Amino acid sequence: MITTSAAARTGRHRTLLRCAALLCGGLMVAIAHAAAFDLNTLAALLAQRKSAEAKFTEERFVSGIDGPLRASGTLSFTAPDKFARHTLEPQAESMIVDGNNLVLKRGGRTRQMALDAVPEVTALIEAVRGTFNGNVATLQKHFNTQVEGGADKWTLTLKPRDEKLSRQVRELQITGQGSTLRSVGLWLSGGDRSLMLIEPVGK
Amino acid sequence: MPLDSQVSPRRRLVTVLLWLVLVLAAVWQITRTSFVADLSAFLPASPDAQQRVLIEQLQSGTVARTMLIGIDGGTAKQRADASRALAAKMRGSGLFEQVNNGETEAWTDIGKWIVEHRYQLSPAITSQHFTPEGLKAAIGETLSLLGTPLGNAVKPLLDRDPTGETTRIAEGLIPSSAPRSEEGVWSSRSGERAVLVAGTLASGSDLDGMQVAINRVRQEWTEVERAAPGLVLRLSGAPVFGVDSRAQIEREIHWLSAVGTVLVSSLLLVAFASLRALGVALLPVASGVLAGIATVSLVFGSVHGITLGFGTTLIGEAVDYAIYYLIQARGYRGQGGWRAWLQHGWPTVRLGLLTSICGFAALVFSGFPGLAQLGVFSVAGLVGAILATRFLLPVLMPEGSSGTGLRAQLGAFAGWAVRLLPRLRWPLLALGVAAAGVLLVRHELWHAELGSLSPVSKSAMDLDASLRADLSAGDARSLVVVQGPDLQATLQLAEAVVRKLEPLVDAGALAGVDSITRWLPSLATQQARQAALPDAAALQASLAQATAGGPLKAERLAPFVAEVQAAKALPPISIESFNGTALKVIVDAMTLKRADGSWVALLPLQPLGDKLDLPAVQQALQGMAGVQSLEIGAELTRLYARYLREAQTQALLGALAVVVLIGLTLRSWRRLLRVCQPLLLAVVLTMGGLAAFGVQLGILHLVGLLLVVAVGSNYALFFDMLQHGAAQRDTPENAARRGPAENTAPDSETLASLLLANLTMVLSFGLIALSSIPALASIGRVVAPGVLLALVLSAALAPRAVGKAPRKTLPDAGDAPAPQQAA
Repeated sequence: MITTSAAARTGRHRTLLRCAALLCGGLMVAIAHAAAFDLNTLAALLAQRKSAEAKFTEERFVSGIDGPLRASGTLSFTAPDKFARHTLEPQAESMIVDGNNLVLKRGGRTRQMALDAVPEVTALIEAVRGTFNGNVATLQKHFNTQVEGGADKWTLTLKPRDEKLSRQVRELQITGQGSTLRSVGLWLSGGDRSLMLIEPVGK
Repeated sequence: MPLDSQVSPRRRLVTVLLWLVLVLAAVWQITRTSFVADLSAFLPASPDAQQRVLIEQLQSGTVARTMLIGIDGGTAKQRADASRALAAKMRGSGLFEQVNNGETEAWTDIGKWIVEHRYQLSPAITSQHFTPEGLKAAIGETLSLLGTPLGNAVKPLLDRDPTGETTRIAEGLIPSSAPRSEEGVWSSRSGERAVLVAGTLASGSDLDGMQVAINRVRQEWTEVERAAPGLVLRLSGAPVFGVDSRAQIEREIHWLSAVGTVLVSSLLLVAFASLRALGVALLPVASGVLAGIATVSLVFGSVHGITLGFGTTLIGEAVDYAIYYLIQARGYRGQGGWRAWLQHGWPTVRLGLLTSICGFAALVFSGFPGLAQLGVFSVAGLVGAILATRFLLPVLMPEGSSGTGLRAQLGAFAGWAVRLLPRLRWPLLALGVAAAGVLLVRHELWHAELGSLSPVSKSAMDLDASLRADLSAGDARSLVVVQGPDLQATLQLAEAVVRKLEPLVDAGALAGVDSITRWLPSLATQQARQAALPDAAALQASLAQATAGGPLKAERLAPFVAEVQAAKALPPISIESFNGTALKVIVDAMTLKRADGSWVALLPLQPLGDKLDLPAVQQALQGMAGVQSLEIGAELTRLYARYLREAQTQALLGALAVVVLIGLTLRSWRRLLRVCQPLLLAVVLTMGGLAAFGVQLGILHLVGLLLVVAVGSNYALFFDMLQHGAAQRDTPENAARRGPAENTAPDSETLASLLLANLTMVLSFGLIALSSIPALASIGRVVAPGVLLALVLSAALAPRAVGKAPRKTLPDAGDAPAPQQAA
């Protein structure tokens, strides 16, 4: 208001002021952009990826068990909501999530269930699937989120909102480079933890 | 010698007393009658094996006892709290065998029981399982869960159950399509409605018990609702339908009979202008209705609501007899009154009765109790009405009714119509041809759905469908039924079925199959599993090999070795061992003990999404004796289709019986043909009209058509008799009243009585055509236009016009003598 009334008196003064304001505004946006690599920015980055194939190796550290338990296999993701984890070693098993449908294969048995019938499982699956497809709303529905780092190397920390789940799972830590996921760490409330390293294959 | 219409006081007293005794007996029988409204009356009385299972399911199975409950409105938290509160109150009421709302707290005890009996329950237990290789694989599977979120559930049991039997059993018990869980309780997939399923303790046929349970839910809800006023309770399921249908039928019958009585009474007042005549005319109606209900109650033990609704139409038919008597006996006033009527009018009325009975007798022999009830009701009701007319009315009004009301005008109108109608014969015939054309062109004219017999409204059906969709696995619409001579044989057969269906689950033909044997394996299976458990030394040796070099040390597995030893000595799980536990309801829902000692196990099939490859299931189970797979909805449709075919045959037989009876009476092919013409045309026009409006015809339309033939034949006969029996029926008074120009024209009184009788029929059936109960409305919509058409066509095609030049349209065209002689 004041700027406008001042500028009304002298046209030259007004033009100058406007230029300065524009400059300032542009600068501030640029600074803010660099500083705030936030969940939305990350999600936008991740959402560019429509499908992904990767190998994984997993190490699980469990109290009372000697040495880490190891597993390896493949991960695949197809936008918008299909996600599969095939474990090849030490035993073949798989988990395929498609929409609201969960299919588990273990020891030659197939079990099928509705994802929304088991909210705790849903939250954990959404942690990975939501990261793959950059679904901010889903991630924020189930977790308190925190993003660190920049586009070239970021860490997303997820803490369960659901009280029941938080009694089981303390937090998840997902790291990545650009739109590529590199690791998923899981801390269980009893102290057990696991770390899955992800190695992209193909494009 | 002139006849006398005098009735001795003694005869009058005896007749009235006898009638009163009969009425009281009927009333007494009716007060002891139970009234039902479920569809089971419309299921076959002598079912085949597959139908028997279906009927058991519908009558007492889980489907019949399952109540679906939805809670709408408010927030997710409010709905969840209300769901918990309502479920707790319902569980505490003792009226439900189970109340499921998705709360998992109740499973803690069951979990303990599974752990204790894992070596009898786990399908993996074979001697191979305890070799070093078997143990290594099983332990590996368990270890693969450690360090994952599921690991927290597995870890506490690791030392006792390293081979993961508990996990394996639990896996088998996970439903494939459970409802969504929101705030810890079940909700619809959209998350906007909390849902519960409850099974009543009362069986499917115990409507009173269901009523108590439903009322209890509503009563408990008022308290739950107080905590969160925005919430809305939705109830559905077979118990609600049964109870609501009964209430609805009661309401409908009340207003139908009230309005019907008022309408018919008004008509009678117009005709007789005498309250006394009105009272007397209603006596055969009341007698008929009472006789009908009491007889059905005696024969079937209970009376179906639809039968009662149908009974209100008897008002229209039974009152006709009274009308004929009151008018015709009046015609013989001074010449013997009722005695003369017995000689002249009664044979025609009796013939009308016999044709109606012929029509309905076909229904009496139906294999479906519901249809047989309609037949028995109609036959008994008509006989009751006619007996009251024949014996009671003469002692009350020996010379008919004195009042004439507007009958002269009615008669004049009828006479005018009768002279006019023959001119319309060709247009009417053309219309008939058009209607026949519509019937030929129209596809799917007959609609086979048992639901069309149900009084349940469309909106109630929609709510039910949406709740069912919300609950996904809440009801078992597709199942495999296993039957054996005793429990053990049945369980073994069920185990065999599960083995055969496992490959289909892997192949994706279905999501899973639930079986009682997951909870209660056959004795043979349990013993085989226990026998496969190794002794301590052998197990320790195998364990040492299996765990060598692995992350899990054998030393910590001592509890495992000890529990395997203990499991060897566990007594077998028997069906009695579930008594008093939370599992009893599950076991009860999946098994059925028949009166003859044989057992049935129900294995619900879980569809994959909404698809289920039933043919694949049937193929997999082919050749297994005592095993049937069925989809309840499809099975009901098949059942109804059979029902419809049977009813079609019966209706044709009934119509044939009517025709044969008329033929026997007339003893003339030509006259028979003429009497049948208007009937056939009336049926074709009625069906064509309904088809043109897009109505699909079902069993009750068929019953209506039969009624049109049975009643319409009376009109056709009347017109025939008017011609051929005129000479016999002529009384001096009638002859005197006629002018020379109309010596064979029907007299105005007879035409008035015919028109009056027809109007009462059209009114009472027109009334039930407005009923909100589809079954009744179907009958009404056929009979009301049908009988009107039958009368109009009988007049239009009356033989006297046929006898002369067909194209002659002068009003006196029919005055020429009829070509045929009376029999």
